[in-house]
Amino acid sequence: MKWIAYGPDAWLLQFADKLNDHAFTRARAITRELEQRPPEGLIEFVPAFTSILLEFAQGSFDEAQRKELASRLNRARAVSMARVRAKEIAVCYDGPDLERVAAQGRLEVEQVIERHWRPVYKVYAVGFSPGFPYLGDLDRALHTPRLPSPRAHVPPGSVAIGGVHTGIYTVPGPGGWNLIGRTSARLFRWLAADREESGTSPFLLHSGDRVKFVRVAELPREATT
Amino acid sequence: MAPARALRAGRTRYAMGYPTRWRRMSAAVLQIQALGLGVSVQDHGRVGWRRFGVPLGGVMDAHAATWANRLLNNPSGAALLEFLLQGARICFLRETWVALSGADASCGFPLWRAMRMRHGDIMEFPRHRTGVWTYLAVQGGLAIRPRLGSRSTYAPACLGQILKPGDIMDGEPAPAFDLPHGVASRLAPALEQRDYARPPAFRVWPAPQTESFSAEALASFFSSEWTVSSQSNRVGYRLTGRALSSALLPWSEPVRVGAIQVPENGQPIVMMRDAPTIGGYPKLGTVDAADLSWLAQCCPGQHVRFVPVGAWPALE
Repeated sequence: MKWIAYGPDAWLLQFADKLNDHAFTRARAITRELEQRPPEGLIEFVPAFTSILLEFAQGSFDEAQRKELASRLNRARAVSMARVRAKEIAVCYDGPDLERVAAQGRLEVEQVIERHWRPVYKVYAVGFSPGFPYLGDLDRALHTPRLPSPRAHVPPGSVAIGGVHTGIYTVPGPGGWNLIGRTSARLFRWLAADREESGTSPFLLHSGDRVKFVRVAELPREATT
Repeated sequence: MAPARALRAGRTRYAMGYPTRWRRMSAAVLQIQALGLGVSVQDHGRVGWRRFGVPLGGVMDAHAATWANRLLNNPSGAALLEFLLQGARICFLRETWVALSGADASCGFPLWRAMRMRHGDIMEFPRHRTGVWTYLAVQGGLAIRPRLGSRSTYAPACLGQILKPGDIMDGEPAPAFDLPHGVASRLAPALEQRDYARPPAFRVWPAPQTESFSAEALASFFSSEWTVSSQSNRVGYRLTGRALSSALLPWSEPVRVGAIQVPENGQPIVMMRDAPTIGGYPKLGTVDAADLSWLAQCCPGQHVRFVPVGAWPALE
């Protein structure tokens, strides 16, 4: 694990150099340890793929504390992958870019759909926009570059492929990924009360979750969350 | 002391006797009449939600915003209005103490000073002179329902109140504010009233990809004069100047507010308050948090310089 200074009161901890099961379980272990036993002075942490940002209150985190935290995070162990229950998300595969993805991988559209919903995905990071999950590992044949120019408006709930990841758009706005389907699951319930009030997160997916897509012919009327 | 009666039905409360600490007034304090180039409600931002992709958000110039609130004895987290450059117009719906700070947009009222506005007063910002962001604090702060722990606006996620002309804003109830007897005015110390046309060199700390930049590239970055591009906004300030070589990271990394990313065109971008929380470009350094409030007030076309602080082995 490599610690890199990121300004005077922040560190980037790089815990992996490849994106795989090991990176995923390390991220889970570190995140869990920080949530359950946060070091003194920690203001915020942001995990992403192979690294995690730690921000501290000014002057509150010295070298001795960093060494102690480093050793504690090194020892942290996550539960095994099999014990992480996958969240199910119903998807209707009728996106406008299915043909494009199929052409890229020299597949039929039906094969694209099957290869997309079959695996259980890992949420490697949440970012780009609130609640937007970066899911892997995507079948190599489905890897498709982003669109040459992004769409101005992508509706929330759009299931998409961008590069080596698949993801789900969570808020209305522009987007450059290939749209392959839709879900009625609400990835970000922006009208929901804050976690402190209601006890549930306004975000369906967190970094470290697992996801299973379920193919449906029609989307259920109510949100699945 | 005479009882003060709220003007809104159902919210009547009487303040009797003295010393009276609270005076219940009509909540409506001002009306937005024109947005100009932009007006939004901001406070110090949302802490704890970046791991879900929600940017920190909040005021672009924390120094000016803090002074506007301080001049009115507001809580430091009180929500205020942030104006971009020029063109906005507001009307006050009742008497209230306010304070302006930040950019000068020829509004005709003094900045960096607590002052009392009257019912019907109009405040407009016709012509930008220096700086970018002007702040207007009202006594007690603006009453907006917090979302994810903050009253600041992040339109892409429908967080906060997206303002439109005609909107009426309420003020939070506040203790009575007045200048002590014999005191003519309350203003920020002269040294705090920044001259945005003359910024200092901004301090830059090392960041995760500092080592991947050559000594020549780093030396060039710190010795060059950079120009703030007009393609700058709350997401990031783009700098134009001598191009630096750069390549995509293998995996995106978390991005701090103030991080200097260098995309493929070699022109650095300083990430600002509404920047996406993760990014795929190498980070040459990170601007000191205190200096970012200065940088935010440098307008397009203005020249800026940077100076290294902390350990930069390649530069020694």
